[in-house]
Amino acid sequence: MTIKKILILNGSSRKKGTSFSFSRTIKTLCEDTGNSAEIIHVIDYFKGKEELHQLKELMLQSDIIAMVAPLYSDTLSYYDIWFLERLVSEYSHELRGKDFFAIGQCGFPDITRNEPLLNTCRFFAEEVGMRWLGGLSYGGGAMINGAFLEDLGKKGEKIILGFKFALEDVLQGHQISSKSQELITVEIPKILQWPLVAFLNYHTRKKARENGNIDYKRRAYLE
Amino acid sequence: MSIVILDGMERENNTSSMFERVLKENLEKTFYFKLRDMNIAPCSCCESCSYTTPGKCVVNDDAHEILKTIAKSDTVILLSPIRFGGYSSCLKKIVDKFMLLILPSYRLKKGYLLHPARYGKKILIGIGVAEDVLKEQEENFEKLVEHNAHNLQYPYKTHILRSSEEIEKAEDEVNSILKVVHEG
Ligand SMILES: Cc1cc2nc3c(=O)[nH]c(=O)nc-3n(C[C@H](O)[C@H](O)[C@H](O)COP(=O)(O)O)c2cc1C
Repeated sequence: MTIKKILILNGSSRKKGTSFSFSRTIKTLCEDTGNSAEIIHVIDYFKGKEELHQLKELMLQSDIIAMVAPLYSDTLSYYDIWFLERLVSEYSHELRGKDFFAIGQCGFPDITRNEPLLNTCRFFAEEVGMRWLGGLSYGGGAMINGAFLEDLGKKGEKIILGFKFALEDVLQGHQISSKSQELITVEIPKILQWPLVAFLNYHTRKKARENGNIDYKRRAYLE
Repeated sequence: MSIVILDGMERENNTSSMFERVLKENLEKTFYFKLRDMNIAPCSCCESCSYTTPGKCVVNDDAHEILKTIAKSDTVILLSPIRFGGYSSCLKKIVDKFMLLILPSYRLKKGYLLHPARYGKKILIGIGVAEDVLKEQEENFEKLVEHNAHNLQYPYKTHILRSSEEIEKAEDEVNSILKVVHEG
């Protein structure tokens, strides 16, 4: 098999968040198979820390491009849409024919929340003539909050395994199989839903107390 | 009855002009925001709006004026070209700040975890302008509006305008929107 290169786009405005943690694992797993990977941060291009025109080389050198992104208001963040709009208008030619896949992760546990984000990635790929290899959805990314997957015990192991299978697929140019999604899906049993809400609200009140007993329900824009 | 329209179209176009005219003719309290002409900083996820300055963004930009108007209104209309089956970046800049319209606490509704609304219930209307996009993209746009409405816990409606359609047809759509607004 020829050596392939994956260009991973970290779509988060937080360079050390969960999207980065996922990107980092994908990079390591990719290198373990003798292939190569590079992570770039969309936010660096938005802020002008990196020059957009330098992307051209990076894209030409890559065989596969991956978007790893947090869910902001139910889809890709402003930064990521801005980035994809730039790619379409300036680099369609460089991207044509390459493979593309995406990982969306959100705060809430429900994986269906990421559907609009993953579809948007697919429509982008189709618009520039890339081959869409599929998307993975992770629910509960806020709980991980940037922690490295190898430090998360069983939960982390399953996600790593899910990503490993997905990489095997994409490196062979195949669609990501449903096995990967099954491995990374965390189901919260119904009976634990109320205790979870109580736990999360306990933390909300605790944080408010720590911030000088602040009224987090303030209707600031009506004052 | 007051209505806020967040226009995420990137340049002058007939649809926006028609919307602005018909809405202003029919509703006294129409607040029309042409986002492309405004200075809105994107959300940097600093989390200050949760516990430091609850419900308020710490960045000084035009988003405050928009959010203040939304807080006082009954209806929010999102207008955008359908971009990759969703919103244009021009509209998304303000939609990312909708986090300010919800609380950092949690509730459970029909098995879904949600953040309670900060300013009560409003009507959300998403209007996608389709230029040569596939049906699938239109459906994803509608799904996105539905998800936004679900998270905000607002009732919602979606409309797809095909730019090839005559402006009268679009006017009919606006009138049906006005009907929804009047009926609450
Ligand atoms: C502006 C903003 C909007 C968000 N909107 C959603 C949302 O609609 N649904 C959701 O489940 N999580 C939402 N989240 C939570 C993030 O998706 C989640 O915390 C994610 O793990 C952050 O990824 P990161 O660590 O890579 O930045 C939002 C976060 C921010 C900052």
